[in-house]
Amino acid sequence: MQKSLKILLILAAVAVVAVAVVLIVLGRTGAEESPGSFDIGVFVPGVAAGSPLYEQLVSGAEKVASEREMVTVKVIEGGFNQGEWEEKITSIAATGEYEVILSSNPSIPFVALPVAEAFPDQKFIILDAIIESHPQMYTVLYNQVEQAAMLGFLAGLITKSDMPGATPELKLGLIAGQEYDAMLKMILPGFERGAREIDPGISVDFRVLGNWYDANKAADLANSMLDAGVDVILTICGGANQGAITAVKERGRYIVYMDSEDYDLAPGTIVGCSELRQERLVRETLEAAIEGDLDWGSNRIVNSTDDYVAFVDNHELYIKSVPEDIRDTMDSFLKDIRSGRRSYEVPKYW
Amino acid sequence: MNVIHNAVAIMAPFLLAAIGGLFTELTGMLNIALEGLMLIGAFASVVFASATGSLFLGVALGIISSVLVAYLFAFVSLRLKANIFISGLATNLLASGLTVVLAFKLFGSKGVIHFPGAPVLPLVSVPALERIPILGDLFFGHNILVYLGWICLVLAAVVIYKTPFGLRIRATGHDSSTVESLGLNPQSYQLKAILVSGFTCGAAGSMLTLNLQAFVPNITAGRGWIALVVIYLGNKTPLGILIASFVFGFAISISNYAQGFMEIPADFILAFPYIITVVAMIGYSAVRHYRSQKLAMRRDR
Repeated sequence: MQKSLKILLILAAVAVVAVAVVLIVLGRTGAEESPGSFDIGVFVPGVAAGSPLYEQLVSGAEKVASEREMVTVKVIEGGFNQGEWEEKITSIAATGEYEVILSSNPSIPFVALPVAEAFPDQKFIILDAIIESHPQMYTVLYNQVEQAAMLGFLAGLITKSDMPGATPELKLGLIAGQEYDAMLKMILPGFERGAREIDPGISVDFRVLGNWYDANKAADLANSMLDAGVDVILTICGGANQGAITAVKERGRYIVYMDSEDYDLAPGTIVGCSELRQERLVRETLEAAIEGDLDWGSNRIVNSTDDYVAFVDNHELYIKSVPEDIRDTMDSFLKDIRSGRRSYEVPKYW
Repeated sequence: MNVIHNAVAIMAPFLLAAIGGLFTELTGMLNIALEGLMLIGAFASVVFASATGSLFLGVALGIISSVLVAYLFAFVSLRLKANIFISGLATNLLASGLTVVLAFKLFGSKGVIHFPGAPVLPLVSVPALERIPILGDLFFGHNILVYLGWICLVLAAVVIYKTPFGLRIRATGHDSSTVESLGLNPQSYQLKAILVSGFTCGAAGSMLTLNLQAFVPNITAGRGWIALVVIYLGNKTPLGILIASFVFGFAISISNYAQGFMEIPADFILAFPYIITVVAMIGYSAVRHYRSQKLAMRRDR
């Protein structure tokens, strides 16, 4: 009995080794069969479905692959456990198959640093992030001071208005999933600055949720802010945004929304949305990388003058929810920003 | 006073889940699957409420789904004799994965799923009574599932202390051989206790999603684990659980409001409810230690 068990174990081990050898050989053959191919590994730090920015990351890369021969795209979702991201990026780089690993998130350059050190030939394109010159990386940061200022300006106009949900207090709110550099150095100051251009007496009640998914806690936080007289809240807490939206909707106040055109989520409650044109940025950056025109080791900041950062002012729900006089003031403000007459610099925080 | 009103709403899911967990605890089992059972209830209730357009059916089917998973957990733990800690952990992992997979298959999204047509949990509003200081905040203006929690608490107290079933539940936890000597099967009481936890966790989960008309992956956000702490903090009694749930809900509510006026780092304020828990746990074990010492001294005399 013991002898037959030993034989079985040996056979199983031989089978495993044989399968591994076949897979390795096939893998190599595949790579050798397509000389000159450009393979892109898209690392999504989270899941793509349901996240507009990551959906654009994937669709941009897939469009490039569909338009060009010899370009392939493989999407790898990292899931919500940030502790696993480095390991997953390492396993992508370790295959040696990808000319470029593409990702998007302010934390990714730092997560990828040890991976870049371990794999010196691996190149990274990371959007919505910035790092001081690293020869294997190319990073692009959105000017979120400007993006937040647009929303702050609108929120300021609303809190000073006689819209039904506006309170007498000049108080706005910002709920963040967590505190991070881009939030503290760009978004919060930008939101405050935009609002104070309407009235220097406007204050911003800034609160932190502590995670990106506890929607019920976000509702509780929003309620506590509304109790304090806040009438417009900018909510940046991922999946938990829904909690803040529900609470604000129940109390008849207002939400301004970052990163995606989502007026439909709560018509009449979401009164302003800004947007990042990530798909376009992905396509242009990948095209440059494929053509060999990308300046590795450099970084870039994009804003609304080149239309990567935008305020969605042509949506019917925006037109319906926001009074005409406010829209007119907003319109001239946006024209100033788009033309570069009014600008918001990104402070060097990296 | 809004702090108290919000505290009552915040404590409701802890209270419901802890009541179910109390039953399993009394039968001598540590039920760490509360989190997963809540998550199943949260997902199923909003999906069914949206599909049927009925709040009652949504909550009922959410509870049934949670009870079914609880049965699976019980089957693996009791019949197949798996380590209850491992099978509880597996139930939590299963719930976390299953809800995301089902969400993707049914709605094409692994992220937030909105159910704008789902019925909303109605509030029990009596404006005249809501204005009574403290009592108004405590008892009025909440959604109906908050009241279900209180009803469950009273029922649990009656069942545990005033019925033969409750006596056998407690006896199973104390010494299962006593129950066996009466010709009863202790495992059947453990099974029933787990099913009760499935019921209450399903209701607790319903509250989390029907409040929002949306499902967010991992929306329970550790509430099942907090419920487990609440059971111990409440000295494994219904009244103790009520007090511990309120302390927790109050601490969270205070921390929500404190961010608006306290000039201390948000991280510290966010940790406040957990600091309260640690302090309460230390206090609880100190009191127990003191009591047991006192008892020992009396015996020595």
